[in-house]
Amino acid sequence: MKGAWPVSLSRWLLDSSVYRSIVRHGVADTNRNRSLVVFENLFLHVHPVKVREKTLRFRHTYWLGGISLACALVLIATGVLLMFYYHPSVPQAYRDMKELEFVVDNGMFLRNMHRWAAHAMVFASFLHMLRVFFHRAYRPPRQFNWVIGVVLLIVTLLLSYTGYLLPWDQLAFWGVSVGTNMAKEAPLLGEKVRFLLLGGNIVSENALLRFYVLHCVVLPVGLLLLLSVHIWRVRKDGGVQGPPEEPSEREEVR
Amino acid sequence: MSSIPPLDILESADPLATPRRVALIRPDIRPAVRTIEERYVMTFPHLIVREIILFQLVVIALALAAILVDAPLEGIANPLETPNPAKAPWYFLGLQELLHYFPPVVAGVLMPVLVVVALVVIPYARINLSAGPLWHEASAARALVLAAATAGLVALFSAFRCWPIVVPTLLIASAMFAARGGERGGALRRALARITLPEWIMFWFAVVAGILTLVGTFFRGPGWSFVWPWVSATPG
Amino acid sequence: MPDPPLGSSESEPERPLRRDFLTQLGIGACAVAAVGSGLVTLDFLKPKVLFEPPTSFRAGDPGDYPEGTVRFNRERKAYVIGAASGVYALSAVCTHLGCITRFLSDQNVIACPCHGSRFDLEGNVVQGPAPRPLPWLEVGTDSTGLLVVDTGNVVPHGRVFKA
Repeated sequence: MKGAWPVSLSRWLLDSSVYRSIVRHGVADTNRNRSLVVFENLFLHVHPVKVREKTLRFRHTYWLGGISLACALVLIATGVLLMFYYHPSVPQAYRDMKELEFVVDNGMFLRNMHRWAAHAMVFASFLHMLRVFFHRAYRPPRQFNWVIGVVLLIVTLLLSYTGYLLPWDQLAFWGVSVGTNMAKEAPLLGEKVRFLLLGGNIVSENALLRFYVLHCVVLPVGLLLLLSVHIWRVRKDGGVQGPPEEPSEREEVR
Repeated sequence: MSSIPPLDILESADPLATPRRVALIRPDIRPAVRTIEERYVMTFPHLIVREIILFQLVVIALALAAILVDAPLEGIANPLETPNPAKAPWYFLGLQELLHYFPPVVAGVLMPVLVVVALVVIPYARINLSAGPLWHEASAARALVLAAATAGLVALFSAFRCWPIVVPTLLIASAMFAARGGERGGALRRALARITLPEWIMFWFAVVAGILTLVGTFFRGPGWSFVWPWVSATPG
Repeated sequence: MPDPPLGSSESEPERPLRRDFLTQLGIGACAVAAVGSGLVTLDFLKPKVLFEPPTSFRAGDPGDYPEGTVRFNRERKAYVIGAASGVYALSAVCTHLGCITRFLSDQNVIACPCHGSRFDLEGNVVQGPAPRPLPWLEVGTDSTGLLVVDTGNVVPHGRVFKA
């Protein structure tokens, strides 16, 4: 990129000693520097420095894991913003939903983004699971990563479920009542688990506060930890595996 | 490359087993390493830029959806007044539909637990690791077992009048039998014939889950009665 | 994008290539989107409606304030004082560290219990660590002629409302 002034300005910035003290490598126009962009970055260095070109294609994984992750990031960003206007108490929670809808600038938009991203993440995770299954990408050495994936799916469903109660409208209240009544049917532990989950015998302020803590702290932390392990294991197992390769991928295990 | 014999991985747990010949190197065949040619590219920029673009596309799609469709907000929660019907979030509506046919212990606890256990066990089950196409040994025994299993499932779910499960089971079982002997035939039949048993089972699971969810979302009205979707109000 | 071979002089095209233009366009668009998102977020975070008590309050009839009357409104933290030429209001919040002052009628002085600041009836600091005089607050009338004091509006020192 030569000749245009934004290019020479950015190049001057990127080569400056202040910038080089933050980002230690030079401009990424040599393969060495391109490697260092990934290698020396805390967030990026879960990637290998080089990837198989085949894995970049859409039909390889349909990018479903990436779509789920993108939805999760959107949910975290919109969720934090929504937290600035939400009090997890009864009946203030419902008033806050009205305030977000009518008073706060872009409140309705952010709430809608949050809700759509939640639906999209549940759906994308499910499709991702199906894709991994039909590509048989759970076979050794990837078995335990599949198990982590199943746990991640459950955490995603629980995140969606705990968030469902927070608007404290009829839809939320009765949807959660039905769900916790189903949980009550589990033998031995059902009643106790329901009591702990709700902080009582009925869906009330305690339930709202507990679901709020689960939704905003406990489950997101769990999700991020498990996601980190899940992505790291993909890397350690040699990268994403798409359609099984020809010739025959059958292995005899005796 | 075609002159190299296929690779068979053999493992024996017994250290004292009689050694067996694994490969015979004939003097006229040179041993060659079996490699898969792979092309590698730099992660930055190729993968990183794709990730950035994907994130932006997802954000744009979600923003469009957010602008066009509002999230619902009904009246304030009233513990004394149950709406009719009281529906769970959409991803649990399949379960709630099952509740219509089975007692809560079964539909609410037993079935979900079985599903989760079945999912977790997938990579450790031998059948998933070594499966070939369903009919690659076109034995009569296999056909018999499949017919018996189908009949059993259909009988079980029919006893509970659970048609959203019975109908797909019958349809998919017919497809499985239609795939038999499909190596000769059109492109569709050959594609069907290549499907392995675990894939058929997962397909059945996905279809049943989808149908249960769709019925629960669109076809259930007050009192969980059957309604046509264009009659009832928009589901949440 | 391999490195050019050593020893060769890379010819520099004089005008930017289409790829460069599109790259710059893309980066520019991302920058606009980022700045836009930031502004939208900032706007979102500013509360549009506050659920705090209103700053104005009614203080009765102007005739209730002959010269020398001092009335203290505890909830709104203000003194409404009658002068020769009219009515004015002082904030009761001490300018030192925010404690609520009190009017000592026997000494005709406004005193703060926290650190001993004292103010005269015009708000000037007589004694103590207070750095500034008590602010004068806006006094007006509503449509029915009753006095209205706005604790959110400070007026210049000495402005008396002539009723």
